[in-house]
Amino acid sequence: MTTLGRILIVEDDPNDVELTLTALTDYNLANEVVITRDGQQALDYLYCRGEYNTRSTDNPAVLLLDLKLPKVGGLEVLQQIKSDERLKMIPVVVLTSSHEEKDMMRSYSLGVNAYVVKPVDFHEFVNAVKELGVFWAVINEPPPGSVKK
Amino acid sequence: MMTELAEGPTHVGVRRSLAYWNQEFQRIHSPILRYGFSVVSVALALGVALALRGGSYYQFREVELPVLTVAIALTTWYAGAGPSVVAVLLSTACFVYFFAEPIYSFEISPRELPYFLIFVAWATLVASFSAVRRRIEDSLRQARDNLQAELEQRRLRENEIRKLNQELANRAAELEASNKELESFAYSVSHDLRAPLRHMVGYSELLQRQASSLLDDKSQRFMRTILDSAKRMGNLIDDLLAFSRIGRAETNKTAVDLQQLVREVVAEIGQDTKSRDIVWKIGALPVCYGDRSMLRLVVVNLVSNAVKFTRARGPAEIEIGCVDRNKEDVEVFVRDNGAGFDMQYVDKLFGVFQRLHLPEEFEGTGIGLATVQRIIHRHGGKVRGEGAVDQGATFYFSLPKAQDAVERTANAP
Repeated sequence: MTTLGRILIVEDDPNDVELTLTALTDYNLANEVVITRDGQQALDYLYCRGEYNTRSTDNPAVLLLDLKLPKVGGLEVLQQIKSDERLKMIPVVVLTSSHEEKDMMRSYSLGVNAYVVKPVDFHEFVNAVKELGVFWAVINEPPPGSVKK
Repeated sequence: MMTELAEGPTHVGVRRSLAYWNQEFQRIHSPILRYGFSVVSVALALGVALALRGGSYYQFREVELPVLTVAIALTTWYAGAGPSVVAVLLSTACFVYFFAEPIYSFEISPRELPYFLIFVAWATLVASFSAVRRRIEDSLRQARDNLQAELEQRRLRENEIRKLNQELANRAAELEASNKELESFAYSVSHDLRAPLRHMVGYSELLQRQASSLLDDKSQRFMRTILDSAKRMGNLIDDLLAFSRIGRAETNKTAVDLQQLVREVVAEIGQDTKSRDIVWKIGALPVCYGDRSMLRLVVVNLVSNAVKFTRARGPAEIEIGCVDRNKEDVEVFVRDNGAGFDMQYVDKLFGVFQRLHLPEEFEGTGIGLATVQRIIHRHGGKVRGEGAVDQGATFYFSLPKAQDAVERTANAP
């Protein structure tokens, strides 16, 4: 493993956070993970404001975004990112429980890079998170301006 | 438009004058009054005629003719046909007695005969004209009354229609609201119900991983049961959501070649059942009209049911064919020689989550046939099942034929 991109996770449910982190840890992908718990916090991170005003201005290599979030919803975050010149190059993966076609259509029309429904089966879930992590943080070449280690 | 007119000032004026004329032409109803009217008017006319003939300053000639005919006309007008005849007879008698030579006798001199005839003819003519006029007037009035009644009725009907429309609009709004509610309900189920399930499964797996060496066989089995139940619930939720989506999704109807569709499905399911001894019989199937992906789901459900319930058979026989019922519909059937069912429970077959077998006999959530029914109903068809315990089952669904459906669409305005 030469470089590892930073993964920004936006997820309100602590259990989902733990399970996701467990899956990423299993595959040594958890070193560069940032967790934000709602849409507002995610935007604060991306814009380096509030509690994140001291971080380096690099973009994460990928954003794993839940749709149902407190304060600012996932679709709003996605819309904000994709309409911002500086942020719109960040690959965004929607990682949600929702099978709803409506959400899928809306996400794709806003320019999401991938849409993944969290599988109920734990092995499938771990597998999905691993694949996502490996692909976006290792295999994929992120756009210029992303954090790399 | 009409109601606005009825409320306008013009109409009020018209109505008032109509009421006046209504009263004016009201026929006298009592027969005594009517015949009395006839006698009195002739008597009055006679009095006037006699008074004018007896030395007046003014020169009146042959005054009896017009005066008596006026009496006849008035009688006909106000009192009707019977009194009119009486008036004509009375005036004729008066004319003969008072005015025709010789005077004061009912005889008529030959010289007076033509004038008498003219009088009679004139009187009859006036009476009949008056009667005709009266009849026309009557029928006109009746027509007008009918028209008015109709107008009133139409106004009432219009009000009623407007009321019904309003109700309909309210109902549509209510339905739309409840539909929205249902949609957001399904959404919540989809999203919020799945998350805790995933956690149950996830943490059970983690626990199993962490503590498997510490757990005895019994505890391991408990663990597995928790996991299986959670997964089963996940499947139930998924099936229920898919089922509700079928009700909401728009259908995209085209001509669908059932033969090809069935072959595809059988080939796909055959991949998973290579180890089993299944004899497939696929008859000729027509092209029908419907949503391809939905119809595919129907075929998948029915065929996989047939495969599932023939598990204990060797060889299993599954036949798919069609019955040409009539011009409009085609009925497709899927027949197997499997476990079958008791016809006593046939009504429960297509219910949501209805199962006729124990879960350890045959797996499944009990949503398959409900989905089939919903899809076929959305296509305007019917479903039914036939079977007997251990004798196999046959499921039928009907669909509109493609040719017919295309024509129907073409003819639609």
